[in-house]
Amino acid sequence: MVQTSFSRRRFLQTATVAGALAAAPDIIPASALGRDGAVAPSDRIVVGAIGIQHRGMDVLQWAIGHADVQFVAICDLQKKRRLAVKEFVDGHYGTTDCQMYPEIREFLYERPDIDVVLIATGDRWHALASILAMRSGKDVYTEKPSCMTIAEGRAVVETARRYGRVYQTGTQRLSEANHVYCIEMARTGRLGDVRTAYAHIAPWDAAEMRHDWLPAVPEPPQDEVDWNAWLGPCPWRPYNPGYVSGGWRGHYDFHTSCIGEWGAHTFAQAQAGLDCGESSPVEYEYVANDSGDGMVTHFANGVRMILSRGNRHWSGSCGERFDGSEGWVAAADGYPQPDVSSPTLLSEYQRVISQYVARTGRSLDHMQNFLDCVRSRERTVANPEVMHHSMTTVHAANICMWLKRSLKFDPVKEEFVGDDEANRLRARAMREPYVY
Amino acid sequence: MWTTLKNLTRCLVRAAALVITLTASAAAQESDLLAVLRSSAPVQEKSAACRQLARIATPDAVPTLAGLLGDERLSHMARYALEAIDHPSVDDALRDAVGKVQGAPRLGVIGSLGVRRDPLAVPALAGLLAGPDRDAAQAAARALGNIGTPEAARALERALPAAAGPQQLAVCEGWLRCAEALTRDGHETSAREIYDRLRALHDAPPQVRAAALRGAIVIRGTEGAALLADAIRSTDDVLAAAAMRSAMEVPGPEITAALVAALPDVAPARQGLLMLALADRREPQVLPTVLEAAQRGDTPLRLVAIRALRRVGDASCFPALMDAAAQGSADVSSAALETLESLQGQAIDDQLVAQLADAEGNERMVLIELATRRRSAAAADAFWRATEDAAPAVRVAAWRGLGAVLDAPEVPRLIARLAVNQTDQEAAALDQALRDIALRASDREQIARQLADALPTVDAPVQIRVLETLAAIGGNAALETVAAAARSRDDAQRDAAFRVLGQWSSIDVAPVLLDLHNATDDERLKTRAIRAYIRIARQFDMPADRRAEMCRVALKTATRDADKRLVLEILLRYPSPEMQAIALEAAEIPALKDEALLVVMGLANAGINRDELGKALAQAGQQPVQLEILHAQYGAGEQTKDVTAALRQYAKNYRIIFLPSASYNESLGGDPAPGIVKQLKIKYRIDGKEGEVVLSENAMVVLPLPQ
Repeated sequence: MVQTSFSRRRFLQTATVAGALAAAPDIIPASALGRDGAVAPSDRIVVGAIGIQHRGMDVLQWAIGHADVQFVAICDLQKKRRLAVKEFVDGHYGTTDCQMYPEIREFLYERPDIDVVLIATGDRWHALASILAMRSGKDVYTEKPSCMTIAEGRAVVETARRYGRVYQTGTQRLSEANHVYCIEMARTGRLGDVRTAYAHIAPWDAAEMRHDWLPAVPEPPQDEVDWNAWLGPCPWRPYNPGYVSGGWRGHYDFHTSCIGEWGAHTFAQAQAGLDCGESSPVEYEYVANDSGDGMVTHFANGVRMILSRGNRHWSGSCGERFDGSEGWVAAADGYPQPDVSSPTLLSEYQRVISQYVARTGRSLDHMQNFLDCVRSRERTVANPEVMHHSMTTVHAANICMWLKRSLKFDPVKEEFVGDDEANRLRARAMREPYVY
Repeated sequence: MWTTLKNLTRCLVRAAALVITLTASAAAQESDLLAVLRSSAPVQEKSAACRQLARIATPDAVPTLAGLLGDERLSHMARYALEAIDHPSVDDALRDAVGKVQGAPRLGVIGSLGVRRDPLAVPALAGLLAGPDRDAAQAAARALGNIGTPEAARALERALPAAAGPQQLAVCEGWLRCAEALTRDGHETSAREIYDRLRALHDAPPQVRAAALRGAIVIRGTEGAALLADAIRSTDDVLAAAAMRSAMEVPGPEITAALVAALPDVAPARQGLLMLALADRREPQVLPTVLEAAQRGDTPLRLVAIRALRRVGDASCFPALMDAAAQGSADVSSAALETLESLQGQAIDDQLVAQLADAEGNERMVLIELATRRRSAAAADAFWRATEDAAPAVRVAAWRGLGAVLDAPEVPRLIARLAVNQTDQEAAALDQALRDIALRASDREQIARQLADALPTVDAPVQIRVLETLAAIGGNAALETVAAAARSRDDAQRDAAFRVLGQWSSIDVAPVLLDLHNATDDERLKTRAIRAYIRIARQFDMPADRRAEMCRVALKTATRDADKRLVLEILLRYPSPEMQAIALEAAEIPALKDEALLVVMGLANAGINRDELGKALAQAGQQPVQLEILHAQYGAGEQTKDVTAALRQYAKNYRIIFLPSASYNESLGGDPAPGIVKQLKIKYRIDGKEGEVVLSENAMVVLPLPQ
């Protein structure tokens, strides 16, 4: 099928007004569209998804809950998941229209009508699927971690820029009020001189990764699970259902360790508060433990971000904390309100949040921020550069732990200083035919 | 000999698969790993060897690795290693292979040539573009794009006319990459030609034409204004959207002028996007256009324009925005207020204060709100007058405003109003004002002393408010005042003082709490004091020796076992030999013995004196137990596995089981339910009695004594 018709033409024709509206979601009710809050089908953003399972269903439900989203197709290399998503989507709309595709390139090529692709595959596919989708003219919302290596992250940035695509990673805490409060308190000087941030890494598993293979098991029919496609750009190994059911975590080829598991969220949060969201540390101090807990990373401007595994600085998951000369703030999942060094700091809460919204025009709903930008073409809060730099920190911290030595890094050249072995770990050859 | 070598290399590979821990030199490692590749070792071992070679291999490894490029099972892993070696012999080997290997391995080799940006590979790759292997042709197109030399660009240019469908997409992708590389290398003219050729390719997919337009605009810089303007006015929405996004990448007044000029010419449906693009430029010349739209009716475009003024507006916008804030719909009013709040400059505040002087009703509320948000100091007199307004809501707003703008010298004036009859909302707003001023003050102690001086002069309900405000301010004077109140004979005042001391947010309250505990005979107050003291030890940053000392004091001072148990939690939270010693001391308290010994074991689990645990427990009179693991299951929901055998190997004659890793997954042979929080269920027998426990993932494995 040749791409001759392009539904986005019609989409943008009507979306330009809606887009301008949506860019100010806090001040414009849907009824401003003149349809009593309803969004006409022609105004909806046409959405498909690649690889939807547990977390993916959360993302799908989040997206489909927005009135201006029309979900039309699922691409998954596992049959049972294709069917599960179709059942959910058809049930949601009361139709039988959701289409299913087993192969990503076929899916992208045959659906030029799709504007946005949600990606919630295993980690190993996030970057490649994003690149393929953006090259096909789609905007992308992808789960974290957005890339497996520094080189992959750079390729995502370049593809998004080349095609002018809107891209958002699922680092949703960048849009949640408690975390926004902490980031803004640090950024705006309300904590005085902030020199240190703490970022949470996952309290399970280790920085060291598994390199073993699970026992070989005969492959199921390709229609059930396409094992070659499941592996994607990663090194070949024999099939075992344990991988497919989620047991890929902890394996070097498929995962980014306890540091990436949560650091893919929290480093972006900490770096945003330190005003280093579009840079990466210049130095990583090795720590002699199995997780990277306590690793001090230094940015060029002298501030530092410390990896923290436990609950010393917060109670909950995916936390960050900023220490300033005038006080500290911290937030993690499940907090009714941020932790602060002085209760008085919380008197600023609403003001800080409203000023953030006023300054950036961004929604505090991460998906909404993405959909707004799809219409307005503005940069998202978790745009490719922000994603790439925070993930560079993740990868460099991992490499520091794997090599068991401190490292210096040049964030402009994106290379380690004077360490050839570390530099070799910045990229991994892609397995054929998944070379991009 | 061979068997020995084989065994050795297998061991090497297994170890290397995790991390280099070998003592042999890198050269020896490389030699051993290459020996694995040349051997009949299984694919898994050869794959692991390649992975390790990627980290350490020298040019010496190239021939052996190159020999695997045609091997469908190992070609990828050979490239995995080769791509990392910075030496021209790798390029030679890949170039040689691209003409020899077939099928999927050739696609990989083509990709690697692109990754390595090998200019000598251009002829070979160009030859593939028109070949029968469509996959190879597409991979070659992208690889040529990565190489990005003028020769690579010319090869793609020649291939473009005959390319269709996915082949056309790949050639376009390669050509776009070439344009970027040529730009980096200083060949802007060549790059611009590529973008223009692709723009003119009318049968190309929309995303290609959009990318080409973006490239053509960005590479021209300000000279791209005409191109930009044409695209914005065009009937092609894809190109129009691409042009506006491109405008965000190119600074300069020429581009801005083109956008402004285009605004009246485009359909209302496109004006919103254009307005945002203008605002993104933050240039003064766009102001008249945006301001005009911000005053036009209650249209959706007006809201966008009001929002855009946050980025490009100035003091001249004040009248229009104030009119929108006071007279517009709720949405327009809210947007206008937010914009007015964000605009910088004294001139805005001057207009605001002048208008506030005579304002009434809703306009007065809006102006007070705005002055509060902007912290307009000159509005203070107007705020004071507004505290006498007939409308309670205005009075509350005025107190909030005073809290935002006043400084410490004005605090006595606020304190004087504490005793005046007010609504609860007014009182809360006044208290908050005092706290906000104190937060900003350089000398909070002075404000605390002024409040302390006022304390005896106000009625009991106000006294409680003052104590709460002092707690929020903190510092020595506040603490002394609240501590004195805690010794008061007035029940209500004493109760309030104990309450705020229990929430104090600095560690200097600790000795005060201890004194209060020791000074009173009231058991209820004793409990409140010691619990507050323990909270400080548990929650606040302090030197380890001080925390340890506080724990000892708390154990000695607390009269209730329940309070002493709180201390045990602290010991576990901050593992150290000293904390373990305190736990052993606590074990001498009969009621705490069992739990204290669990803490001792828990600290050992965290690595504190683990080897000495048996001795320590014996000293505390704890005898070894006979422990038998009956059954252990790990997982979540239906995704569980039997870990009885694994757990048994770690179980000794303690009620705690030390695992080799803090991770259950690692200790118990893998993750049965990835991505899900799991539980460990254990059935066991201790000294003949059966028990059962359910532990959260990675929790310390402590087995309660069966009843």
